[in-house]
Amino acid sequence: MLQVEGLSVSYGPVTALDGVSLAVSKGECVALLGSNGAGKTTLLRTISGLVKARLGSVSLDGKAIDGMSPENRVRKGLCHVPERRRIFPGLTVLENLEVATAPWRRFGASIATDLDRVFELFPRLRERRPQYGWSLSGGEQQMLAIGRALMSRPSVLLLDEPSLGLAPLLAEEVYARLSEISAMGVTMLLVEQNTAMALSVASRGYVLEHGHVVLAGASTDLITNPRVREAYLGA
Amino acid sequence: MSAQVLQLAINALAAGCIYAVVALSVEIAYESTGVVNFAAGQLVTAGALIGLSAVAYTKFNFLPAYLLVIVGMSMIGIVFLICVYLPLRRQSVLTIVIGTVGVGIFIQNVMLLTWGPLPKSVRSPMGSGAIKFGDVSVSLHVLYVIGVTALLIIGMYLLLYRSSLGRQFRATAQDPEAATLMGIRVKQLYALNWILVCVLSGIAGLLFAPMWLVDVTSGDNIGLKAFAAIMIGGFGSVPGAILGGIIVGAIEIFGAFYVSSAFKDALVFALMFLFLLVRPQGIFGERAADRA
Repeated sequence: MLQVEGLSVSYGPVTALDGVSLAVSKGECVALLGSNGAGKTTLLRTISGLVKARLGSVSLDGKAIDGMSPENRVRKGLCHVPERRRIFPGLTVLENLEVATAPWRRFGASIATDLDRVFELFPRLRERRPQYGWSLSGGEQQMLAIGRALMSRPSVLLLDEPSLGLAPLLAEEVYARLSEISAMGVTMLLVEQNTAMALSVASRGYVLEHGHVVLAGASTDLITNPRVREAYLGA
Repeated sequence: MSAQVLQLAINALAAGCIYAVVALSVEIAYESTGVVNFAAGQLVTAGALIGLSAVAYTKFNFLPAYLLVIVGMSMIGIVFLICVYLPLRRQSVLTIVIGTVGVGIFIQNVMLLTWGPLPKSVRSPMGSGAIKFGDVSVSLHVLYVIGVTALLIIGMYLLLYRSSLGRQFRATAQDPEAATLMGIRVKQLYALNWILVCVLSGIAGLLFAPMWLVDVTSGDNIGLKAFAAIMIGGFGSVPGAILGGIIVGAIEIFGAFYVSSAFKDALVFALMFLFLLVRPQGIFGERAADRA
């Protein structure tokens, strides 16, 4: 479904990604692991079109999307939940959700079923509908960021550190919802520093170091891999 | 209330409406791009002068003439977007603000070359008639100014706060990158922003021109008063811009009558300084969290 081939990205003289290749099949949830500065966020930003690659290609459903603007990639079903959630602070919860229907909504089209789907996953958001984005707690903001992305009717979700800054219980709550979304058939590429949590939802994972993929495999193999255990699980 | 005070109050409201429309245009640009538009005054003059020529061209058919002004002002907005805003978008906001100063000077000089320096009188589409309410005589143009302003304010409110386009507009203003990631066509909304800003200023020009004489500098003062209105009402607040405009109109008209017409501008700016000293966030202030 989502294919990345030989992707290289530099910021000026600094190389952030160096020939990264990976693939995510339809309906799969894949984790992207690695320490700070390994290039995980850059990879997501390149896939969603915010960053231009120097070399390599990104394709969706077998078609290269390299020349496509980020706005149009969303219309192709690729939605990126950015790091630190980035919800719209001066829009209410409901407005945050409504605004994300822009890619597909035609005049008069109903968004009720989409809203219901989000509110079923995150009942808290239903209660908070009229509140401004800035007034939400960190966990609620993360739920809103995920819910907002779902409103764009994505087939592939890119998630950047959904557990960042959340208390452990809330992070688990978010991950429980992510596995439900995955069960709905939404394909996911998940960037996460919390390796154990990411591997609990993902079926496979890639480990990124200094802009290279250094390890790839099934979650069950990665979690027992000595290198992963030492570097990322603190074992 | 005596007839005289009522008469002054209506004139103050009309002047205030014009400042409010200009303040609204400055406020919309600021809300959606963070740019303070220092070309507002010159855009007002442009609206008035293009209106003058368009009305002459259509032989006093005001409706098509005014549509021409709206088209003309929209084009200025698009030119501004392409020549100034998009190339400077990645620079600091201050650079763009200085860009607007440059645009203002450019527009003013183009107007000077096109229309010359002499002041011109402009007819109102309402003619020169007036309605008498007892001892109070109100010109039709003044009523028209108040009516058009009210419609503009309602229209802007519906557009920004009650339509899905408005939601996209505000989302883009708050976080353009996140808006892009949600599939919002950010560049189109920037275009809409600058078109709205120029059209609103142009309409303010059409409204003020029949009340005062028009020359290439007459918008400058209106632009400055609009800034005073925003400072008083509160930067970042749309209701503040409108209320500030009406306060400035009131001080000007009542100040001219009861104090001295030589001091009417000084009174407006004195109040602005007072606000900057005592309540710099203005009457409504800004919800700082909007700009997180």
